[in-house]
Amino acid sequence: MPVPDFVRLSAFEARWLAEAIRLREEAGGPLADRDAVAAARAAEGDLEARIVHRAGQLGARDGMARTITSWRARSRLLLMLGAAVALTGGFGAALAVLGDGSRAVNVVWALGGLLGVHLLSLVLWAVGLAVGGGDVGGAVGRAWLWLSSHTATGPAAVHVAKALGGLLVRAGLLRWWLGAVTHGLWLIALAGALVGLLVTLSARRYGFVWETTILSADVFVDLVRVVGGLPAQVGFAVPHAALVQASGAAPVFDEAARRAWSSWLVGCLVVYGVVPRALLWALCLGLWRVGRARLRLDPALPGYALLAARLAPASERIGVTDADPGRFARPRANGPHTVAGASALLVGLELPADAAWPPALPAGVRDAGVIDSREERRRLLAALQADPPARLLIACDARQTPDRGSLELIAGLSRYAGEIRVWLTEADVAPGGGRTEHWREALRDIGLAPARIIDSAAMALDWLRGGRAEAENG
Amino acid sequence: MAKPLRIAVVGHTNTGKTSLMRTLTRDTGFGEVSSRPSTTRHVEGARLLADGEVLVELYDTPGLEDPIALLERLEAIEAPGDERLDGVARIDRFLATPIAGRRFEQEAKVLRQMLASDAAFYVVDARDPVLAKHRDELAILGACAIPLLPVLNFVRAPAANESSWREALARLGLHAIVRFDTVAPERDGERRLYEKLGTLLDEYRAALERLVASRERESGARHRAGLRLVAALLVDVAAARVGVAADAESAPRAVLADLHQRVRRREQDGVDALLALYRFRPDDVDAASLPLLDGRWENDLFNPETLRTMGIRFGTGAAAGAAAGVGIDLMLGGLTLGAAAALGALAGGGWQAVQQFGGRMLEKLRGQRALSVDDAILRLLALRQLHLLAALEARGHAAIAPIRLVDPQLHQWREGALPETLLRARAHPEWSNLFGPARGDDARQAVVEALAGELFEARRP
Repeated sequence: MPVPDFVRLSAFEARWLAEAIRLREEAGGPLADRDAVAAARAAEGDLEARIVHRAGQLGARDGMARTITSWRARSRLLLMLGAAVALTGGFGAALAVLGDGSRAVNVVWALGGLLGVHLLSLVLWAVGLAVGGGDVGGAVGRAWLWLSSHTATGPAAVHVAKALGGLLVRAGLLRWWLGAVTHGLWLIALAGALVGLLVTLSARRYGFVWETTILSADVFVDLVRVVGGLPAQVGFAVPHAALVQASGAAPVFDEAARRAWSSWLVGCLVVYGVVPRALLWALCLGLWRVGRARLRLDPALPGYALLAARLAPASERIGVTDADPGRFARPRANGPHTVAGASALLVGLELPADAAWPPALPAGVRDAGVIDSREERRRLLAALQADPPARLLIACDARQTPDRGSLELIAGLSRYAGEIRVWLTEADVAPGGGRTEHWREALRDIGLAPARIIDSAAMALDWLRGGRAEAENG
Repeated sequence: MAKPLRIAVVGHTNTGKTSLMRTLTRDTGFGEVSSRPSTTRHVEGARLLADGEVLVELYDTPGLEDPIALLERLEAIEAPGDERLDGVARIDRFLATPIAGRRFEQEAKVLRQMLASDAAFYVVDARDPVLAKHRDELAILGACAIPLLPVLNFVRAPAANESSWREALARLGLHAIVRFDTVAPERDGERRLYEKLGTLLDEYRAALERLVASRERESGARHRAGLRLVAALLVDVAAARVGVAADAESAPRAVLADLHQRVRRREQDGVDALLALYRFRPDDVDAASLPLLDGRWENDLFNPETLRTMGIRFGTGAAAGAAAGVGIDLMLGGLTLGAAAALGALAGGGWQAVQQFGGRMLEKLRGQRALSVDDAILRLLALRQLHLLAALEARGHAAIAPIRLVDPQLHQWREGALPETLLRARAHPEWSNLFGPARGDDARQAVVEALAGELFEARRP
């Protein structure tokens, strides 16, 4: 089996692929992912790791991972081309600014030519950073990103490009990443200019002048002093006032003057060009690296939240560990039979403490109370054994659930009474009548026909009296 | 990896043990639930996972049905000789007797599972009175010598006897008790359940905390994802704009009908996405708790009656007529919503808004007017979606709907100003997905995020 592409993706690229897959599924519906989900679920790790794993599988299958690796290769190539262009451009700019030595170098023009565009783009970058919006990261970096994205080919390249932007914008990383590219290329260009400057200044003789029509010479003296102030702090020379005054008239070719001017020019390029770009490049690169290491997919994006249930389910079934044997021990109630006694007895079974008990009983009917505990059950059974009643009415609370214990007791009681009826109290107020039905079913299962179940107090007491209910049912 | 915590879910028959399992496992298909007693006759387990790690194993057991007779049996067991038996030894002996496989088959399963578990949830139907059989049941379960946490189910029912249950449980030495409605638990019900359990099981407390944290993370992510879906829907509809010739007296019916249809379809897509996010199938048992009919809204979006029932008043604008729901954007013609939206966009959108403004001017010069969806409809969409989201999160939580109706955020959507982010979307027809895929991805994404963030902030107490 060939090594899948996703193993060659870095952690960041794997997340990028996951994001691209998410966008693709959002636009075109879910991909067939049964195997990928199974593989992801078998993998260790949290939800994000599983999302990335699934995306890696899917990306390897349909080539989106290759789109990303080729994107990486292409963007590197573009970056190297850009670096080459920047280096030659910077070198060339230095040569162009100084000229071939046949003419004296205008120091102000030379400085502007070397630093002007750079400073302008630096200001634009800073403004973009402060304001935000669409132009963040510098024009050079954006051009590189645009070229890298628009030359992308392969399946769902558009989603791959979109995913990169979305991922980085959401994490606030695009500005640092593109900033690193912008400053890096400018750094190379300025380094090229510096090399060009040093090479030409070493190998050719230049005279330095400044020119003006309306400004006074003091302006240039101050300009040179102020601009040279910062480079002077790190050891570059600043032409003294007399030299600046003299250079206004004609190029001064004595050695000290040449060295002072060239040191000033190189110092300005280094301090205002190379050093700031190098610092910003390092800063952006650092922030980008830190941010990239911290970058996580947001599991609260709808696409990922949908996957969560499948990739990292809250539970998995173990299955049945102790099976239902399929048989069910069920008591049987006795049918009507003849007993010695002729009395009528009423008993309440597990009625709640707040039940109105006993109801007003007809003459000749005894109340055996409410039976709940084991001892009460025993006492009742013993009493029935000693003096079996002809009619026994058992009152049950229809709001409760019938269970085997109650049914066993009812079946047991039926053995000691000539005839029993079950009175479902509260059958009319029980919510939805649901449990009344369960009682009827359960009682039928132990052999009590529906006719032996009563659900109104009046009929129940009638039956105890030996009245109509019996006549009807009998 | 540490051994997972094994918990037996026990209780009298028909108290909601399998419902508790379903709620804790998030597995709506687990076991069989019905209002009939003795539905579960076997022991069935499920593992609870957090970040792929098994932290808890839950075992659903059959209900105890005849505890009075069972306790009598247990107490009758005597050791050979003078030896005294403790609870566990007694139960072991009982399980070896033949009757444990016949009449007490179900109870024997429960006891076997109890002995194999680290703790047990004792599920109580708080509507039942406290009876001798329950006390005997607790005596039997107590003999198994593992921590027992009573879970009071159906505590919100009017017939609940919570205080008598608490008193009875306290008399049996069970003071850690938790209220937990198994069908519609309160928002932090699960956290309290596991925290209480953690107090009984010190060595598993860290694992239980991880489980709670993971569950809360999941539900938080799902909630934010839901708000993002709502926000995307609102942006799609707010940004939708269709041009019509300015000389036409009223917008052509066909264009209107088409726009209506697209908005309806978009809303249904939003509903479907929310249902999918919450893994809700219209045939789920608690579907009736949702304000939907077979996964669809009962009332049409563009029916004025629908607006009225949701408490949204029509503005005095163009919308209050036969063309309910579509505002005609007479940008330079008067102070309609279009102008207001453009001003809002200007205030919030900077240069891009100016470009948009220019675009509208151009449309105007070309003799076109723009048709967009009325504010009232946006309000209605927002209210319905947020309502559905709340209902999905509560999952049949009957008590939550009246609370939500006075929610300040819903009030804001009903009567307050629309969020500035939505007004900004008004000025960007390219952000709408109603007519083909949206353009301007990053900017649209940012607005959807911002709106979802506002919804999230507003929903917090």
